[in-house]
Amino acid sequence: MHRRTFLKSVAASTVTTATITRASAQVASWPDKPVKLILPYAPGGSTDLIGRPWAEKLTQAFGQQFIVDNRGGASGMIGTEAVAKSAPDGYTFLVTPNNTLTILPSLRKVPYDPIKSFAPVARLGDLLCGFVIHPAVGPKTFAELIDYAKKNPGKLSYGSAGLGTATQLRLEMLKFKAGLDILHVPYKGSGEALNDLLPNTVQLMNEINCIPHVKAGKLIMLNINHAERHPEFPDLPTLTELGHPNADVPIWNSIHAPAGTPPEIIAKLNAKIVEIAKTDEMKARMRSIHAATPLQTPAEVAAYQVADMQRNADLIKSANIKLE
Amino acid sequence: MELSGLISNLALGFSVAVSLQNLIWCLAGALIGTAIGVLPGIGPVATMALLLPATYALPADGALIMLAGIYYGAQYGGSTTAILVNLPGESSSVVTCLDGYQMARQGRAGSALAIAALGSFFAGSVATVAIAVAAPPLTKLAQQFQPADYFSLMVLGLVASIVLAHGSVIKALGMIFLGMLLGLVGTDVNTGNARYTFEIGELFDGIGFVPLTMGLFGIAEIIANLTNAERRDLVSSKVSSLWPSRDELKRSVAPVLRGTVLGGLLGILPGGGAVLASFSSYTLEKKISKTPEKFGTGMVEGVAGPESANNAAAQTSFIPMLTLGIPSNAVMAMMIGGMMMHGIAPGPQVMQQRPELFWGMIASMWIGNLMLVVLNLPLIGIWVRLLLVPYRLLSIAILFFCCIGVYSLNNSANEVLFIAVFGLLGYVLMRLGCEPAPLIMGFLLGPMMETYMRRAMLLARGDANVFIERPLSLAFLVLTGLLLLFIVLPSVGRAREVAFKE
Repeated sequence: MHRRTFLKSVAASTVTTATITRASAQVASWPDKPVKLILPYAPGGSTDLIGRPWAEKLTQAFGQQFIVDNRGGASGMIGTEAVAKSAPDGYTFLVTPNNTLTILPSLRKVPYDPIKSFAPVARLGDLLCGFVIHPAVGPKTFAELIDYAKKNPGKLSYGSAGLGTATQLRLEMLKFKAGLDILHVPYKGSGEALNDLLPNTVQLMNEINCIPHVKAGKLIMLNINHAERHPEFPDLPTLTELGHPNADVPIWNSIHAPAGTPPEIIAKLNAKIVEIAKTDEMKARMRSIHAATPLQTPAEVAAYQVADMQRNADLIKSANIKLE
Repeated sequence: MELSGLISNLALGFSVAVSLQNLIWCLAGALIGTAIGVLPGIGPVATMALLLPATYALPADGALIMLAGIYYGAQYGGSTTAILVNLPGESSSVVTCLDGYQMARQGRAGSALAIAALGSFFAGSVATVAIAVAAPPLTKLAQQFQPADYFSLMVLGLVASIVLAHGSVIKALGMIFLGMLLGLVGTDVNTGNARYTFEIGELFDGIGFVPLTMGLFGIAEIIANLTNAERRDLVSSKVSSLWPSRDELKRSVAPVLRGTVLGGLLGILPGGGAVLASFSSYTLEKKISKTPEKFGTGMVEGVAGPESANNAAAQTSFIPMLTLGIPSNAVMAMMIGGMMMHGIAPGPQVMQQRPELFWGMIASMWIGNLMLVVLNLPLIGIWVRLLLVPYRLLSIAILFFCCIGVYSLNNSANEVLFIAVFGLLGYVLMRLGCEPAPLIMGFLLGPMMETYMRRAMLLARGDANVFIERPLSLAFLVLTGLLLLFIVLPSVGRAREVAFKE
C-alpha cells in the first residue's frame, strides 16, 4: 500500500519533472517558429500603423518572423475571440486598441472575458491627440469651448469612429464631466468622420487623423488627452492642467497573450518590447504616427487595464451610454 | 493653377516617375494588379495588405507608385474575368458582365477586352490630367456634399438601377428590394444592433460583396452552363476575331467620352462614388441609345462606357486621399497606411512639403496606365484562348479559384459556404427570369442610403425638411421624381414593355 503510493508519487513526480523540463526547454528556446500577432481590425487603421513597426522590430530582435494577421470585423470582437481561443503556447498574441478589452464588455455581450481570457504583455503605443474643433464654430481654446457649449446646448455635434470606440468615449467623458449637451454622430471609421468635420458638418472630433489638418491650420486642437503634453504642441494643456483630473486617458494599444501562456515567455517578450521602446529609432517612429509607448511590466499593464475598464464602466453607467 | 506652374510640376513628376527604379516598381505594381484582378476574389485590398510590410524597405515614392499600380492594375484585370466568365472581380465590373459576357458568348471576347482596355486607358489618361489640373477645386466640390445630398443621390441611383434589367420592371423592382434587405444584414452603425446575423460572426459586418457577387454571377452561371450542353458549347467553342471591328470602335467613341466625364466626377465623392460610376454610365448609355432593347445582349456601348467610367473613377478617387488624407474606399485607406509607414502624414500639406512625391505619383499613374494597355493588348489572345479549354475543366478551375479567393479575404470557411448558398440562389433567380444586377445595386446602395438618411436626420435634429432645403439634395430628388414618372406613366410604361420584351 505504502509502497504503491510511493511508486505512484515517484511516477507522478517523474512525469511532472519531465513536463517541467520540457516546458522550460520550450520557454528557453522561445521563439523557435514564427509568432502570429492577431490584430482585430482591417489594415490601414491606427492599430495597424502601431502594430506593424513592432512586428518588424520584434522580428529583428528575436530572429523569428512576427506576422501581423488582420482579423477585422464585429468591432474587433472576431479577432479578439480568436486569440482568446488560441493555444497559450507563446505563438499567438493579440495586438489591440483598448476598445475590445476595456469598453465593449461594458456595452454588450462579448465572446471572451476581457480579464480571464488574456494575460497582458506590454503597452505598445498611446495615441497623442486631443479634442479638435472646426475654426468656423468660434472657440479657440478649451475654456472657450466649454463656455460656448454651455451657452448653446444641443447645437454642437461630434463625429466618432463608431459606437463603443474610444473616440466616442473620450467625448462622452468630456460631456459628462463638464455637463455639456453635444450630439453624437457615429461613423464607420474615423476617415468618414474627418470628412464631415472638415466642411463643418460635425464640429468636434478626437482622433490622430485630424493632426495634419491642425498643422495646416484647417482645424484647431484644444488640448491633449494624455498625462503629458505633446512635444509637437507644447502650448496645449492636458486635461488635468485644465481642471479635469482623472480624465487624461489616451486611446491605448497593447499586446496580450491567451491566458495560460508561460509567464517566462511573457516576461521575455515584455523585456524586449521595453528595450526596443527605449531606442531613439522606435521613439521617432511612434512619434511620426502621433503615438508614445509607456514602459510597463505585465503586472502594471494588467492593473492599468482593470482601472481603465472600471473607469469606462462607471462612465458608461453614469452617462447612460447604450447600444440600443 | 498657372500653366507654367503646372508644367514645371508635371516635369518634376515625370522626372521622379521615369527613374529606372520607379519604372520597375510601377511595372511590378501593374503586373501584380492585373494578376490579382484576373484571379476571382483576390482583390487589391488583400494584396496591398500583404505587400505593405515589404514596401517599408523601399523609398516612399517607389512604394506608393507600386501600391497605386496594384489598384489600377486590378481595375484592368477585373474586367477580364467579368467578360470571359461572368465573374465581376470588383463592384465596378458588375455591369461589365451584362454585355461583356454576352459578347464573349458570341465569340467577340477579344473585341470586348480590347475595347475595355482602350477605353480604360483613355479614361485613365484624362482623369490623371484632371487630378493634376484641378485636384484642389474638385476637392472643394466634393465637400459641398453633405449627408442629405448623398441620400438623395443614392435614391436617384436606386431608382435608376431599374434600367439595369432588360426584363420586367416588377421583377427588377423586386430584385432591388431583395438586394436592400440583404444589404441590411449586419451591425447597425447608429444603434449597434445586430440585424439578421444569427450569431454568425462573419455576418456581424454584413454579407461580403465578394461572396455575394461570386455566387450570384459566377457560380450560378456555371450551374446553368453545366445543366445545358448547348449553352455550354456557346461559351467555349466560338472565338472569332480578336480585334474590334471598325464599326465597334466607332460606336465606342462617344460612350467612352461620356463614361470618362461621369466616372471622373463621381469618383471624387468619398464613399460610394466609384460604385455609382460604372453603372451610371451604363444607365446613361441605355437611356440615350436608339436601341435600348439590345442592351444586355452584347452591346459594345455597354462595355465601353462603364469600363471607362470605372477607370476614371479609380483615378479621381485618389483626389480626396491626396488633398485631404481622407480615404474614399478601402484601397485608399491602405495607401494612407503606406504613407504613414514612411512617416508621411497624409493631408493637405503633402502637396507643399513633398511635391516630388505628389507629382511623381500622378505622373506614374499615366505611365502605369500606358504600361497596362501595352501589357494587356497582347494578352488578349491568351485570355481568349482560355475559353477554348473544355468547359468541364474550366468550370472546375473557376470554382477552385473562387473558393481560394473568398477564403483568402478573411481566412473564414463560412464565407466559402456563403458563395455556395448565393450560387444556388443565383441559379433559382436565373430560372425565374430575375436578373442579379439590380439586386447588387440595391445591396450596395441600400445600406448607404440608410446611413446617410439617418445621419442627415440626426444632424438636422430630426427635421426632415433638410432633404428639400438643400439645393443639391432637392435637385437629385426632382430628377428621381422625373425618372419615376417616366417609368410609371402608363403610355411610357407600355412602350417600355414592348421595347424590353425583345
